[in-house]
Amino acid sequence: MTIWVLIGILIKILVIVGITQGTVAYLILVERKIAAWAQDRIGPNRCGRTLGVPFALIQPLADGAKMLLKEDVIPKYVTKPLYLLAPWIAIVTAMIGFAVVPFGPTGPEQIIDFQLAPNVDIGILYVLAVGSLAVYGVILAGWASNNKYSFIGGLRSSAQLISYEIPLGLSILGMVLIAGSLDLSKIINWQTQKFYGIPCWGVLAQPLGFILFFTSAFAETNRLPFDLPESEQELVGGFHTEYSAMKFGMFFLGEYLHVITVSFITVILFFGGWDFPYLTYPEQTAWYWTILKVAVITIKVMIAIIFIMWIRWTLPRFRYDQLMDLAWKSMIPLALINLVATAAIVQLVRTYWS
Amino acid sequence: MNGSMILATIGVVLGATGTYILLPHSRGDVKSRNNYILGGVLAGLGLIGFLLLLTPPDVSPNPAPADFSSLGMMITGACFYLFAAGAIGTAVMTVTSRNPVYSALWFTGVIVSTAGLFLLIDAQFLAAGTVIVYAGAIIVTFLFVIMLAQMEGKAVYDRAAKTPGRAVFTSFLLLWSLMYCLAVVPGSHRPPTAGANDPLEDRLRRGRELAEYYRGKGPIETKLVLERALRPTSSLFFDGDHQKPKPNVAGLGEALYADHLLTVEMAGAILFAALIAAVLIANPKPLRPVDAPTEA
Repeated sequence: MTIWVLIGILIKILVIVGITQGTVAYLILVERKIAAWAQDRIGPNRCGRTLGVPFALIQPLADGAKMLLKEDVIPKYVTKPLYLLAPWIAIVTAMIGFAVVPFGPTGPEQIIDFQLAPNVDIGILYVLAVGSLAVYGVILAGWASNNKYSFIGGLRSSAQLISYEIPLGLSILGMVLIAGSLDLSKIINWQTQKFYGIPCWGVLAQPLGFILFFTSAFAETNRLPFDLPESEQELVGGFHTEYSAMKFGMFFLGEYLHVITVSFITVILFFGGWDFPYLTYPEQTAWYWTILKVAVITIKVMIAIIFIMWIRWTLPRFRYDQLMDLAWKSMIPLALINLVATAAIVQLVRTYWS
Repeated sequence: MNGSMILATIGVVLGATGTYILLPHSRGDVKSRNNYILGGVLAGLGLIGFLLLLTPPDVSPNPAPADFSSLGMMITGACFYLFAAGAIGTAVMTVTSRNPVYSALWFTGVIVSTAGLFLLIDAQFLAAGTVIVYAGAIIVTFLFVIMLAQMEGKAVYDRAAKTPGRAVFTSFLLLWSLMYCLAVVPGSHRPPTAGANDPLEDRLRRGRELAEYYRGKGPIETKLVLERALRPTSSLFFDGDHQKPKPNVAGLGEALYADHLLTVEMAGAILFAALIAAVLIANPKPLRPVDAPTEA
């Protein structure tokens, strides 16, 4: 019995790694297309046209081949072990977050448990813990490059990542208090109930929490209003100035993996996960319901990803002091107020109305 | 004092002597080869004596279900040895690395391995908390400081032991008392389940009584209160019946706010005091007015 469970888990890991890596490749294409659309350009449209492939769908393959075939320069003056380790940390910390993300309905009655590590009590905390390790990739890349621009870039980026972890964690806590669990699938199940006919989605129960979470998620993934780590126009690269070819690509792979994780967490915490009001319920366990639920969560995640990319080409970049002020002077106090208010309301409601 | 304690004492003494000989004494002079060999042999003997004491730990997870197969056990055991070896190995590298940046990074390895060990005994919250607090925040701050200070770690005073005798004595005394405690207090790695049949109300009342006692109110039955305070933490795993596992976080919260209420409140007060002090220190002091130019 156990050996089959083990094999099942290994297959699931392979499938999830494959799907996410493939998605990341196509996200780059999607981003280029959205950028072109936002700036009234054409964007990638001819790669593979001679082979009869429409919409430049092999552009990601070409991009990947370019990354792999470019000359891989390792400067003499870098601290080699850490210089080589940093991109791996960036990728691995982004990958292992997927262990607790439910990709669909979970539970013992399902044919397939759409989660690598089911029954993890602390799902959302695990994601935060793994996310907090991602800063090592940045700080090590900056330091190991042995170059003042990279080093200052690394310090700048890691200060940003550490600062925005605080509102990120605080904004989640309100939803955790309401649902009464840190387990992601339990949080989804809480959101499937109806309150006078209105679905109890997290975004309705915790609007401020959602805004704070989404904003700090942008900062954590280095997406545009907060992309000081790169800021390609003003500073020309930060911590990854000395990285070339695939090692540079790995940082970007990690970044796009973070985008996927963040979209999943947003959908799960604030948009009901696989829940579609008046259509799906936790009791439905037949395989066709399972497929529907997986489709619902996937579509929601795709919408979230497109929204994130759309924001990138809409808002201008922050200045560094503005970025820090936003985190420490506005978002953390707001998140604390949200947390205290939620705790008070939950306590009163539990005491007097139940 | 039984046989194993005598063995432990001999091992500790040998290890202490070996370490004392190996430690770089003042001014970091290069010592003769014989010194290194002698010290290494003695420390190695001490380590062997210590290893003889070890029994392979029983790493089966807590309520072993009836159909628990050996494969799961094997994976758990392999993970245990992996994390344990990782923790010890990275700890050694932390202490011995010359470059402080590498030391801090190896320390991250210690934290992550410890978190893995916590996971194996089903302390998920503790594992995640350790990683967030230590690896995610504290060591990163260390790294900031070390990198900005550009310490190279090659100065002579960094390589010399100032008071090798006292350092070795203290640390090995600590090691010996640790082993003594482990030998005297028998038991497994499993958390005690004494509170399994102890309802929550009783534990809450006990916490309040403790608080009352320390406030100088309530019955001064020192013995009774202390006896209650020293009882093991109620089980995180079972709630009444031993079949139903308890949610990890809920169990932890219950234990903290029922069994260890006083400790939690005291920790909160101390942290609050630290916070106020930090605000006080960080508050910008008004600049002194520029001194009026003295008469020329």
